[in-house]
Amino acid sequence: MPDQTPHVRNFSIIAHIDHGKSTLADRLLQATNAVSAREAREQILDSMDLERERGITIKASAVTVMHRHRPGSAADDFETEYEDAADESGHHTTRKGESPDEHGDLYMLNFIDTPGHVDFNYEVSRALKACEGAILVVDATQGVQAQTLVNAYLAINENLVIVPVINKIDLPSARPDDVAMEIEQTLGFPAEDCLLVSAKTGQGIRELLASICEKFPPPRPPVVTQLRGLIFDAVYDDYRGVIIYIRVFDGALKVGDKIRMMGTGRTFQVTDIGKMTPKPVRVPGVGPGETAYVCAAIRSLKDVRVGDTVTLDSDPAIEALTGYQPPRQMVFCDFYPATSEEGGGPGFEELRDAVEKLSLNDSSFTFLPVHSEALGFGFRCGFLGLLHMDIIQERLEREGGVEVVQTAPTVSYHVLCRGQGPFASTGGQALKPVEPSSPFYRDVPPASTLLEVHNPAELPDGSHIIEIREPMCTLEIMCPKDKIGDIMKLCLDRRGHYKSQSFVSETRDLLKFEIPLAEIIYDFFDKMKGLTSGYGTMDYEVVSYKPDDLVKLDILVNAEPVEALAVITHRHKAEQRGRGLIARLKEQIPRHQFEIPLQAAIGAKVIARETIKSVRKNVLAKCYGGDVSRKRKLLEKQKEGKKRMKSVGSVTIPQEAFMAVLDTGE
Amino acid sequence: MPDRTRTPDDQVYHARPLPVVGPRQGPGLASLLPRPDPARPARSLYVHVPFCYHKCHYCDFYSIVDTRDRQAPFVDRLVSELEALAPWSLGAPLQTVFVGGGTPSLLTPPLWRRVLNALTRHFDLSQIRAGEFTVECNPETVTPELMATLAEGGVNRVSFGAQSFNRAHLKTLERWHDPENVPRAWALAEAVGIRRRSLDLIFAIPGQTLGDWDADLRTALDLRPEHVSCYALTFEPNTAMTARWARGEFARAPEDLEAAMFEHTLATLRGAGLDRYEVSNFARPGQESRHNLAYWRQEDWLAAGPAAAGHVRGLRWKNAPRLDDYLRTGERGFAPVVDVEAPEPRRNLVERLLTGLRLREGVDSAAVLCDAAALADGAEDRLARAAAGQSGLGLLDPSRGRWRLTDSGFLLADSVILALAEALDAARRGPVGSRQPEVPQHAAEFPGERA
Repeated sequence: MPDQTPHVRNFSIIAHIDHGKSTLADRLLQATNAVSAREAREQILDSMDLERERGITIKASAVTVMHRHRPGSAADDFETEYEDAADESGHHTTRKGESPDEHGDLYMLNFIDTPGHVDFNYEVSRALKACEGAILVVDATQGVQAQTLVNAYLAINENLVIVPVINKIDLPSARPDDVAMEIEQTLGFPAEDCLLVSAKTGQGIRELLASICEKFPPPRPPVVTQLRGLIFDAVYDDYRGVIIYIRVFDGALKVGDKIRMMGTGRTFQVTDIGKMTPKPVRVPGVGPGETAYVCAAIRSLKDVRVGDTVTLDSDPAIEALTGYQPPRQMVFCDFYPATSEEGGGPGFEELRDAVEKLSLNDSSFTFLPVHSEALGFGFRCGFLGLLHMDIIQERLEREGGVEVVQTAPTVSYHVLCRGQGPFASTGGQALKPVEPSSPFYRDVPPASTLLEVHNPAELPDGSHIIEIREPMCTLEIMCPKDKIGDIMKLCLDRRGHYKSQSFVSETRDLLKFEIPLAEIIYDFFDKMKGLTSGYGTMDYEVVSYKPDDLVKLDILVNAEPVEALAVITHRHKAEQRGRGLIARLKEQIPRHQFEIPLQAAIGAKVIARETIKSVRKNVLAKCYGGDVSRKRKLLEKQKEGKKRMKSVGSVTIPQEAFMAVLDTGE
Repeated sequence: MPDRTRTPDDQVYHARPLPVVGPRQGPGLASLLPRPDPARPARSLYVHVPFCYHKCHYCDFYSIVDTRDRQAPFVDRLVSELEALAPWSLGAPLQTVFVGGGTPSLLTPPLWRRVLNALTRHFDLSQIRAGEFTVECNPETVTPELMATLAEGGVNRVSFGAQSFNRAHLKTLERWHDPENVPRAWALAEAVGIRRRSLDLIFAIPGQTLGDWDADLRTALDLRPEHVSCYALTFEPNTAMTARWARGEFARAPEDLEAAMFEHTLATLRGAGLDRYEVSNFARPGQESRHNLAYWRQEDWLAAGPAAAGHVRGLRWKNAPRLDDYLRTGERGFAPVVDVEAPEPRRNLVERLLTGLRLREGVDSAAVLCDAAALADGAEDRLARAAAGQSGLGLLDPSRGRWRLTDSGFLLADSVILALAEALDAARRGPVGSRQPEVPQHAAEFPGERA
């Protein structure tokens, strides 16, 4: 190692989805020689297959690289070109930070990748807690988008220094000057301070590296002598158990130390400390200002609370660092095994294994066993948002190897009931009161109880209910000016309240609404995208719970209510919703040997009905000697198809029908 | 064209490449066929003649419009295959022979004589006159000489593909024959003493009304047939008919109309003394096709010719469909084989339900339940419950020890069969279809032993 202690810079890259965050991260790694072009697979920091396929980053990772920078210079050299012939010859081994001929100071750059989607804001903010600076990446063709702003606000709230970067300037349609003006207009960073970069060609990377060293502040000096490290991420590894990522603020940690989690009081022996460069490299210890991964024979993610403070068991700190609020699950749905038999079967066991395994490396989704008349045994799962739900479902099927039937997502309702309880759903299930520590626990009069309900089936008997409250969001939509009318109409139709409108650029405005979360978890995003020809972007945050005239809409198939199809909806929209829903069901449920009435009802009052006609004729004309095999295979195929269906009484309902509730019927 | 022992994998007009099949692919039939059961040797034989003048647009059976005059090489090849197959009859007299196509009546009388001679030489046809020897005929191609040749060779039943007597509907089907030829052919058969005659008709043709269909039925009945097959037009994949429908050339018959025609067929034919004995087949008492009943009752039969399918003791196989492949002689004179299915209790039971329930006689409920009991715990109960459910819907009649479709059950036969077949599956654990039964190696030396 060189003669001096390196300067440390901890920073994140934040951006709207697809603005080139991961490509920029890769380019920085290459520029600092951490990765050769040959071993650089695209987007190194995203490790899960699913992330790669969807082009999004789910798990934050921290990477450490060494870099030389001459203080005061505006652009840094780096040796390696991206298509290096040197690597091919096998001689190219000189690493930047180790070169004896180098001038300038040595910098240790720790960068922490963040997810780009609205559902993972929680993870963004916890990554930012470990940083002093943030690179705000904006696409030179698309300009400032809704998540650009949300992420920038998160960073500003954490008092980070922000370096705005305009990326993709190599594209013919790039308009960096306009975008710089948008940044100035919306966030107040002077347009001339924006760095112009092409992560693809490498243009501007030297200037960016210099800015990282120059503009981002060093970590604050330690304020206590005892170890205090913030856990900003934790991942599960099949071989090493839980690996925690920490940012050390005070004191030092070395291999062999016994650590204590200040929040939970649990202790573990440190077996391994290292840095991702991005390959894991072991180090003997870490000091203040640094980030590292730590292995300490931690068995399960349940033993770790991200946001907790790590200290030494032998010399503990007195006060923990300020951590984070635990993640809030806002969207819920049920998963049932597609192949389960009545009373739980092999399908349920497989699903349980898959869910438990998945929860080991994603602690932000919750699950509870549930039973439904229609669907058997399954799990009610809570997610940070809709995308998170999709990802979990895909991972269950892909990694867990189970086929699942997924019910329509709902939000978490708060139901104010008379009396002190305990309360149960109409199905007899015990209901949980909202924790008084919740930020949404408000306005609960004496002799009443506020219950948390994640599913229409859980609603208690109507006579107990004083009111039903639903989560409300602030919704920000950035859209072309000529689409403002359409967006207004969409939001008002969805019970949104217009809040404000602000100028972004000559062509785009930022609209703010207050809107029920339930109205945007279905198909809102797609509708908004459609209305704006893909140019609109949105972000939302749940800010409060408000009562409204909400009712449970029951769906009866062949005169039997199907809990999995019930929805909670606003009374004024119930009829439209009910009509839309049973119209969809009519398309989805195959005709049977008998007529099937479909009804939508509030309580005993039927508000919409349809009938699925019976099959008139279903018989093959010919089945001779040579046809038998083919007809039998056809029969097997039909049987397989029916296995993905669920029986309600004598009616079989395909899985897709349970998603029909998603469509609001507009 | 009532009798089909062939599957539609190969057609003159598909463009999709066909798999190359040949004797080098896997074991040949000689090593696969189970040894015949001396108590129950195969008593039925199907022969497929693949030639047509023209491919009718609804047809998905294997046939080719022969422009290369391969009829003589085909007959050479068929004769050697019949010789190779013969040992499986154990010298027992054949009870039924069915020659289908294609258009068997397209073969010239000299070629027919060679086929008939080979049959006589290698099989015992001594009882066939008391049994059933059917040849499918296109009314257009029937000549007095051909009829005489057939009658002389023991043929005692012909099946004429009339399809419709309405020129407009024949045109929709791209069926090239003059309806006037049907009564002519009908008379020619009678003239040589072939009295068992069957007619094939098609209903639910695009544009056909219930009145049109009634007229076709009446015209058919005027011929006083002993047997009629009435098929709802099926839009099989990879047929010209389906392609034309997909292009929007015509609309398919509405389901309600199709159902009405199906019911009208039964009422009309039953009124004329021809009762339904299978979904699409109607006969005067005693005039049912015995050969086809052998299929539906899971009896054994041998098969010769390209794309012909056979069944011996639970094993099903199919000959390579392409004529070119067929013409390359396989091992010991057998045709190259594709699609072999080894005997397997669950599959055999499903097949029994699949074909048996389509018959008026239905299936022996006690025997079927007994087989289900042997398959898996609880399968018998589930099957019985499923049958009771179908009976409750008025689709199945469980009286007198059999399960029989009711008249309304026949309209929904496939739904009933699916419900019963599902009951056999419900207890199955583990991934479905993951285990394929081993193909048994049988009787490799069997014909040699006899020699």
